[in-house]
Amino acid sequence: MSTPVDDDQIEIIQEFVTESRDMIEQLEPAIIELGQDSDPEVMNAIFRLFHSMKGSAGFLEFDHMTRVAHAAENLLDLIRNGTIDLAPDHVTLLCEACDFAKDALDIVDTEFTDDSMATEADTISAHLHDAIEIAKKVKAGGDAADTSSEEQPPEATESEQTSATPAAEPTEAAATPPPDANDFPTIEVTDEMRQSFVQEGNELLQNTEQGLLSWGDNIGNSEFIADIFRNVHSFKGNCGFFGYSQLEKLGHQMENVLDRVKSGSKLAVENPADQLLTSLDILQKTVNNIAEGKDDSIENLEQHINDLQIIIAPLLGDFLVEEGVPEQAITKAVETQKKPVGEILVEQGTASTTQVSSALKKQQDTINKTKAAAKPTQRTKTPAKRQDIRVELGKLDSLINLIGELVIAENMLIHNPDLKGMQLENFNKAGQHMSKLVRELQEMAMTIRMIPVSGLFRRMIRLVHDISVKAGKKVDLVLIGEETEIDKTVIETITDPLVHLLRNSLDHGLEPPDERIASGKGEKGTVKLSARHEEGEVWVTIEDDGRGLNKEKILEKALSNGIIEESDLDDLTDKQINNMIFAPGFSTAEKITDISGRGVGMDVVKKNLEKIKGKIDVTSNPGEGSKITLRIPLTLAIIDGMIVRVGTATCIVPTLSMLEAYRPTMDRITITPDGDELAKVRENFLPVIRLHEVLGKKPDSSDLEDGILIVLEYQDTRFCLFIDEILGQQQTVIKGLSNYIGNVAGVSGCTILGDGDVCLILDVGTLIESAENKKTRYEKTVSNA
Amino acid sequence: MAEDPNATNSETEDTQKNKYLTFHLAGEDYGIEIQYVIEIIGIQNITDVPDMPEFIRGVINLRGKVIPIMDVRARFGLEAHEYDERTCIIVVNIDTTEVGLVVDEVSEVADIPEDHVEPAPKTNKNNDDNYIQGMGKINNEVKILLNINKLLFSGEMLELIENLEE
Repeated sequence: MSTPVDDDQIEIIQEFVTESRDMIEQLEPAIIELGQDSDPEVMNAIFRLFHSMKGSAGFLEFDHMTRVAHAAENLLDLIRNGTIDLAPDHVTLLCEACDFAKDALDIVDTEFTDDSMATEADTISAHLHDAIEIAKKVKAGGDAADTSSEEQPPEATESEQTSATPAAEPTEAAATPPPDANDFPTIEVTDEMRQSFVQEGNELLQNTEQGLLSWGDNIGNSEFIADIFRNVHSFKGNCGFFGYSQLEKLGHQMENVLDRVKSGSKLAVENPADQLLTSLDILQKTVNNIAEGKDDSIENLEQHINDLQIIIAPLLGDFLVEEGVPEQAITKAVETQKKPVGEILVEQGTASTTQVSSALKKQQDTINKTKAAAKPTQRTKTPAKRQDIRVELGKLDSLINLIGELVIAENMLIHNPDLKGMQLENFNKAGQHMSKLVRELQEMAMTIRMIPVSGLFRRMIRLVHDISVKAGKKVDLVLIGEETEIDKTVIETITDPLVHLLRNSLDHGLEPPDERIASGKGEKGTVKLSARHEEGEVWVTIEDDGRGLNKEKILEKALSNGIIEESDLDDLTDKQINNMIFAPGFSTAEKITDISGRGVGMDVVKKNLEKIKGKIDVTSNPGEGSKITLRIPLTLAIIDGMIVRVGTATCIVPTLSMLEAYRPTMDRITITPDGDELAKVRENFLPVIRLHEVLGKKPDSSDLEDGILIVLEYQDTRFCLFIDEILGQQQTVIKGLSNYIGNVAGVSGCTILGDGDVCLILDVGTLIESAENKKTRYEKTVSNA
Repeated sequence: MAEDPNATNSETEDTQKNKYLTFHLAGEDYGIEIQYVIEIIGIQNITDVPDMPEFIRGVINLRGKVIPIMDVRARFGLEAHEYDERTCIIVVNIDTTEVGLVVDEVSEVADIPEDHVEPAPKTNKNNDDNYIQGMGKINNEVKILLNINKLLFSGEMLELIENLEE
């Protein structure tokens, strides 16, 4: 296709590209699962992927993609119906096909054609074909039993009644028969599958509706019909997959009508759009029922099908057969047809003029009759239950920024200094109402950008599969907390780190099977990838049960790299040692493999996490494995905070980590010989941290009895924070401090208060550490002053 | 709309070339290249950030954006000066980093052609002069032209950034 691509087409192509990418992303993990257990459900899902890709690519004339998808489909089809057995090679091949599709999509996205992929397509489809041939031979050798796979889908029989139509059967006729419900009588529909069916179904039905409405106003425009036809056809196909036979039947009948319209044959009514819309509403209603977990039963299904049937005027050919004209002759005539069928037959002498005119008359009669019978139908609109829309990320970002500005503007308006001291009852009411609305708007905007990590995690399945094959290790990847939602940009930023960390776990962490058995572990290693919300952060953890970090090796390497000095050795904590692995160029691997060992990966991990103000915790037990936690702040999240004041400074303490607050009495304070203060809270003695020391501020009073102690909890440690007073509670939007300033110990970010001032948010986790450091400094300044 | 976008681009560059925003600081006149300047705002409430060098006064809220504030007097080690209604914050942007500079008073935008700019004087004071880009002469006045990049990212600030990375 060298014709120039117009805007409409570009739009269609782009849509195709996004959809296909999504599909591939979803299904890649499934392909790998396929290697582990051949669940028919998984198989069907993958089959559908290639089938729909083939369909769409075919329609857009991306021949090379079509070819590969078709070959993959063939392979899957044979595996599915048992003609050949699934071999591990097949999984790899299918993965390659996915890779090819991804590359092709990239090219299509920019060039709007896949011509340049010709060679790759050749190679891959050749591989796929070879695999089929080999597998067939193997199977034929091992087991000669015929699995009678070539069941004709029932559609074939139904379509006979339209086989005399001059138009060629649409799209799927040439390709392999579409997978049909009858192939899998035991298909099990999971909730997830049902949801995606409903979602897709809604979309297709909406498109159909749109098409029908436009077509109804503009009969004779064949483009609309083609479009409607495609939608109905895909919908029918989906119904087939899921075994919703009633929906399928009605869809099929609609398709018949549309097919007739498409081929330009006569219809019993001038405009079948109304009738079709009624049927469409029934479909929509049923899809909604399915969404609610009901089955697909349609009331008066037969009636509806008949209503549609009568609009289809019987073909002249059918009447001619009744008149005794041989059927083959008619079919032949139809095939060579340029003139009305009747005339040809007369010319050919296979039918007499009387036969033809009598048949014509009958046809006309039937049309008249049905015209009378086809009553004008009443439409009842049934709205779709749920709809998704794809939005460009840039637009969302500017929306969120605008809302952020709105919040601040609103705060400035309501807390405007000019209004101070005035009695403004009505203004305040209106203001409160507005605040509430703005708050809701903000919360809504925040959730828009959040997406579940499942997509990211599922991508790792493929990675783990590939690496474990390469490194010759056996691995179980366990995914936990896939539904945890993180901001989209954060997900993008942690993708690379996750890849590197997983590679490390697999390559360095996990031992080869024989070593594992020797050390009394199971042959298969386990890598756990989990995500969860904790302390106002998202924690993504990678945990393996391998050999753990080798401290001696790390120290040795650190010494030779000059990261540490000989004299430092004694002072190093385990944490410090573990953190050395993040130094650039640091690698304890003896040899560089193609998976890892260059010492770049961990540096990337660190850099990327710094970008999103994340932190990394490494814990490791020799022989038992290591655990790396990426602690990512919810950059856009709202946290509940307590505004506290010490001297002139106000700060926000996350309410989440606050246990209680009280005014202490001196008899409950113990001072250790080191000068550390301990507060007795019930039966526990908790260290006291003075916030003014952390911030370097002068408090109202440094007497503990004059201020307030807040008990804070971080992970398993508790401590008390000494402040002057609590000012109030507020929901705050976390903003990062500027990159220019970087990370500040004891501070996790800041927010903007109602009066427009910036207010720091305390980082409970690092508060203890930074307090330790500050204390000495503070004492010095105090003694100097 | 037949204009060539490149042409407009070079035009804006041209209009900004050799133009400096000049300000007063402790009796001297300074200038910074106008292309880095985003806007000038009056002094606002600055929130302290702990652990910062003396010249980083804290952060302010600029229409929802949090921007760090550097006191240029403190940066140069000059005597502190009470902020008054003439004190201004010049917001500059370098490679998407926005920083506010506190100065005594903003004067004007001056056109200083290249041939009126003398190279920075070599002094014995180690590297302290390295944020001076040159000395601009307008009539009889001398403006000290600052290299924003070095002003923001050299010396103590660099150490700070390095410390953070450790």
